[in-house]
Amino acid sequence: MAAELDLAEERARASIGRQERRPLGVVRAEDAAEFARTSGETQPHLTDPGHSRFTVHPMYLVSLLRPAPGPGPDEVRPDGMYRDEVPGTDGLDVRLMAGGQEVRWKDEVRAGDAVDVLRALTAVERKGSGDGFLLLTVEKTYRAARGVLVEVSERFIVR
Amino acid sequence: MESVRVGQPVPPVAFTPDEVTLLRFGAVTRNTHRIHYDTAFARSEGLAGPVVMAQLHGCLFHRAAAGFAGGTGRVREVAWQNRAPAHAGDRLEVTGTVRAVDPVRGEVTLDLVEHCGPADGEGPGSVCCRGHAVVVLL
Repeated sequence: MAAELDLAEERARASIGRQERRPLGVVRAEDAAEFARTSGETQPHLTDPGHSRFTVHPMYLVSLLRPAPGPGPDEVRPDGMYRDEVPGTDGLDVRLMAGGQEVRWKDEVRAGDAVDVLRALTAVERKGSGDGFLLLTVEKTYRAARGVLVEVSERFIVR
Repeated sequence: MESVRVGQPVPPVAFTPDEVTLLRFGAVTRNTHRIHYDTAFARSEGLAGPVVMAQLHGCLFHRAAAGFAGGTGRVREVAWQNRAPAHAGDRLEVTGTVRAVDPVRGEVTLDLVEHCGPADGEGPGSVCCRGHAVVVLL
């Protein structure tokens, strides 16, 4: 496992700053409402797509990992995570965990927005004792045609 | 805005996501990581069972901030760090206090913390996330 973690670190450091674009599709009110319901919201303007003041839940877009129709079978690791979700870990027997996020809203996300996300790994830190673990920081910018909607700093733990 | 004071409590937000909730949340966000629904796999990773998604923690932080902001305010920023895993069936509760008030910008910064523990347990449980939020009061 230590050799795999070393390799993940080497790969990740080599990919710092490399930007990738990922389409997230068109935001659908029905999907955002379902998201709101499953997250425990009860306010109709978040859970009812037919509400006169319906609003896309602000956390929906930044929680969506892939657009419809979802991944193909060769896009997923044995642990179920997407192969390209955590930089440097594709094909390696390492454990992945979320470390946290900072979400900064720049504009309202609207149903009908066609969104893509620009992602880049910006920091790789080796932490802990023994083999330790990797703390990766990925910066993401969600955009629609009218401009930037949300910026996110996301951290992943690789063990 | 004038009535907001440093140290003022943020109204708490609580939620108890069970296995079905996690499956639904994973489906709508297309999060297929097995630590969220496969008990045997989660245990093989050293976890006690399926764990709550980071984004679901974020939803509770956002709800706490939005509740503080009220109908006319808005949430500008939410941040959280995962400190310990929360498991399916745990009761999650986000509480907090006002850290800073900026009347010029109309912004209030909130310190937020999330506790998790058995739904039928006593006390708030253990800390699973810490973070903050910035709300704009109009």
